[in-house]
Amino acid sequence: MNTQVQQALEILKTGEPQAVEQAIESLQSAVYAFGMKVCGHPEDAEDTAQETLLRLARSLKDFPNARALSVWLYRVAKSQCLMSRRKSKFAPAELMSLEELMPERLGTDPAVLKSWAITPEEVVLHRESRARLEQAVLALPKQYRLVLILRDMEQLSTKEVAEVMEISEDTVKMRLHRARVFVRNELEKYFRGRKRLTL
Amino acid sequence: MDDARCKRIFAALSEYLDGDLRAKSCQELERHLAGCRPCLAYLDTLKTTIEACRSYRVPKAPKSSVRVRHALREAIRRA
Repeated sequence: MNTQVQQALEILKTGEPQAVEQAIESLQSAVYAFGMKVCGHPEDAEDTAQETLLRLARSLKDFPNARALSVWLYRVAKSQCLMSRRKSKFAPAELMSLEELMPERLGTDPAVLKSWAITPEEVVLHRESRARLEQAVLALPKQYRLVLILRDMEQLSTKEVAEVMEISEDTVKMRLHRARVFVRNELEKYFRGRKRLTL
Repeated sequence: MDDARCKRIFAALSEYLDGDLRAKSCQELERHLAGCRPCLAYLDTLKTTIEACRSYRVPKAPKSSVRVRHALREAIRRA
């Protein structure tokens, strides 16, 4: 489970007065960040954080431990995001076939390989490639987008993603692979033909 | 390039990177990668993509509202 969320929920469950304020801000920050990744709009992310934390306040005593509460919290945040007022400007198809995602050539072109001479840290530090990554994630159909965000960005385990999404672990793995391949192919379109990025 | 085998390998790359592939399939995949530069290159770039997602951070969030803080303090008091 996401350690920031888990630790903050543990503090709220134990109710240590000195740590509570910091735990609330930590949860606000984590849920806002999740909302930004899923919705892509600061206003939606702020609404998601507010509504999710208010529901948390009503349900805090109903959960035996922080882990169960974390799964519930992600479920609520996910539902809030999907109900957000501002719909994504992308209109993706709902199903992605692996056959269609597989490039005709798997990267034999030396120019393509050279374009990937970039570290993961550089991808997220460079403004344009970071924006391209965000656009690629937002362009994913929502069920694929949520799986990729929960697994790769929030760093939940496959089992935890399955619990949050209420789907099987095999479905998580299938959607995750397609989502990763889609984002990878979108990044390649951006990198192709560009010189090495400068920060 | 063996297209049928490449397609099978392509479908298993995420499970391989996540350490979820069974030992036998893992060995088969590694044998294929050792002789197939396109598949190996695809694996490397997929790994870069996943690590970029893991490194991605959203800019600082606004502070929580007074209403949220009050509601949570009350919930802790009642719990």
